[in-house]
Amino acid sequence: METGSNEPKSRYRQYLEVVTGPLQDKRRWRQYKARVKELPENYRTAVEALERYLMTFGPGDSTEAASMYEDLADLFERSAADGTPIREIFGENPVEFVEAFAQNYSVGSWIGRERERLTSAIERAAGENTGKEERTV
Amino acid sequence: MGKQVTEMLKGVLEGIVLAILSGRPAHGYEITAWLRDQGFSDIAEGTIYALLIRIEQRGLVDVEKVPSEKGPPRKVYSLNAQGRAYLEEFWRTWSFLTERLEQLHERGN
Repeated sequence: METGSNEPKSRYRQYLEVVTGPLQDKRRWRQYKARVKELPENYRTAVEALERYLMTFGPGDSTEAASMYEDLADLFERSAADGTPIREIFGENPVEFVEAFAQNYSVGSWIGRERERLTSAIERAAGENTGKEERTV
Repeated sequence: MGKQVTEMLKGVLEGIVLAILSGRPAHGYEITAWLRDQGFSDIAEGTIYALLIRIEQRGLVDVEKVPSEKGPPRKVYSLNAQGRAYLEEFWRTWSFLTERLEQLHERGN
């Protein structure tokens, strides 16, 4: 465990993180990558395939993404230890699994934003006043 | 039956898992194994895992990390008060559904 993560950030660090995203999240990402590296080859291949998909369809928020990848590593480390066959983890349809998984971390994802936009557009079209401010881009 | 049962299960899987946990705490692997034993052989472990994360985020279960002989600690899930209330609602909804479906079924015969 790293110490000092609760200390107030220096001004320099605050500016830096505006550009780079929180450093804490980057550290978590590196830890995740290191964990994946330790997995048996077929589990690693499966995780990397999921990672590629989640880069596009997963959360846009870096803290949310860090939690998601940690949960992913938890699952595959556990499955590797139990010797669960890859097909038993994924089932017949890998997309179904990854979608159910990714929905738990929808903060900041473009697909989540589009879903919200559709919902509020239909509310307006249906003449419902939900009292929410509509933001159009 | 295969495809159809998978589709139907989607809507009730959450209730099934909560019902399993109302008996006793369990980890993901146990839950999946139990479901497979019961004949739900197409259940993906990943699907159960995603579901467990979801019900944890919604505060329906409490989670405890228990050391394992081999590999990382296992997360053991137990139903909490909120989960029990949710499960009761699930069974009410289930009774409503099965009653109506049974009526349809009988009328069709």
